[in-house]
Amino acid sequence: MQNENDTVKDDAELAASISATQEKEWGCCSVQEPSFQEEEAAKVPYLGDKEPLSSLAAEYQAGSPILLEKIKILDSQYVAIRRTRGDGNCFFRSFMFSYLEHILESQDGAEVDRIKVNVEKCRKALQNLGYTDFTFEDFFALFLEQLDDILQGGEESISYDELVNRSRDQSVSDYIVMFFRFVTAGEIRTRAEFFEPFITGLSNTTVDQFCKTSVEPMGEESDHIHITALSDALGVAIRVVYLDRSSCDTGGVTVNHHDFVPVGTNDEKKEASAAAPFITLLYRPGHYDILYPKPSCKVLDNVEK
Amino acid sequence: MASSAAPSQKALSKIACKRLQKELVEWQMSPPTGFKHKVTDNLQRWIIEVIGAPGTLYANETYQLQVDFPEHYPMESPQVIFLPPAPLHPHIYSNGHICLDILYDSWSPAMTVSSICISILSMLSSSTEKQRPTDNDRYVKNCKNGRSPKETRWWFHDDKV
Repeated sequence: MQNENDTVKDDAELAASISATQEKEWGCCSVQEPSFQEEEAAKVPYLGDKEPLSSLAAEYQAGSPILLEKIKILDSQYVAIRRTRGDGNCFFRSFMFSYLEHILESQDGAEVDRIKVNVEKCRKALQNLGYTDFTFEDFFALFLEQLDDILQGGEESISYDELVNRSRDQSVSDYIVMFFRFVTAGEIRTRAEFFEPFITGLSNTTVDQFCKTSVEPMGEESDHIHITALSDALGVAIRVVYLDRSSCDTGGVTVNHHDFVPVGTNDEKKEASAAAPFITLLYRPGHYDILYPKPSCKVLDNVEK
Repeated sequence: MASSAAPSQKALSKIACKRLQKELVEWQMSPPTGFKHKVTDNLQRWIIEVIGAPGTLYANETYQLQVDFPEHYPMESPQVIFLPPAPLHPHIYSNGHICLDILYDSWSPAMTVSSICISILSMLSSSTEKQRPTDNDRYVKNCKNGRSPKETRWWFHDDKV
């Protein structure tokens, strides 16, 4: 589950415009101004408009040729990128919009019925883990409400613009991000034995501490652990495309991606969904945005399964 | 991420109001041991009495917590301070501000007033010395104009106390 691309953390170029990592220092307290990065992040909307890949290339004009080469490859496979704010919630927010947008466009009632079953399982899981109902029920209700609003035919069905507006509205958007955080924490705790080695490897804390400090609070960044847990819990496959400076041994430049396929997906379903998950995210060290594949173009498979 | 917002003077949102009513009912049915909520008709500010746990440095001592809820509770953390006199403790400032991660960066809507209270009592109980934080005077001076503890960028360094 580790990122095989071995991302370059201190790469200032990639980290620019991407959210800050917070340093915890010795000392009980101190008074500081908000950091530059936090102020910068707040200028970007929770969710941007669709932009052509050329806007991504523009960021790296004077930068690494490997990155520009990779962006050229992405440009041949993807039609657009939609940016999200680098506020630590970007994975969950990207997932939220991408999923709801898919439902809005496909009007896939069967998928909505399916995910609702999983949502109820998540609710039971949290109850079994001892979470008090009132701590999570409002978040669950709001997510289910979005699903109903988005399936046309209902009295309150919403437009594409309304979905974008809601995703930019803190009182909806943050609540749904928090819903996903509950679901993720519930899955990790329920399958603690499975997740424990990854958590120990990543942060050297217990499963409980990890959930309390890195999953449940808003603004905590997501790792492969979060993605795996959310994908498993909701039964939704997620493709993550990596844009970093890694290059192949052979010298050729390729863009790697990894498909998170939910556990319990049987072979038949796997085949049906193997073509491509309907959620594609672009990962740059420390940040996730949404990618839109070209409808006519099959993505070249450099899949690591 | 640091929550730098000042405690909102704005009224509670509908969702915050609903949530707090549920928390209040839950509290009344099973209050955390050692705590007493002083009933008022103000849902947005709770005054809670804390009794030091037996066998600890604060046994039989009574203090008061003031909990103020922001408009967007529980997405935003409540502001929790001790009313004077604040207990002598290495993480509690003489102006009542408390250095405890869950009140700031590590707050999550999965927590409740009850769980905050339990954490504060556990912080008191594990103290081995009745003393103020080393930077008490400097910090309290900086807060003179009524700065909220939520505007402070806290560093948390000590899990033992």
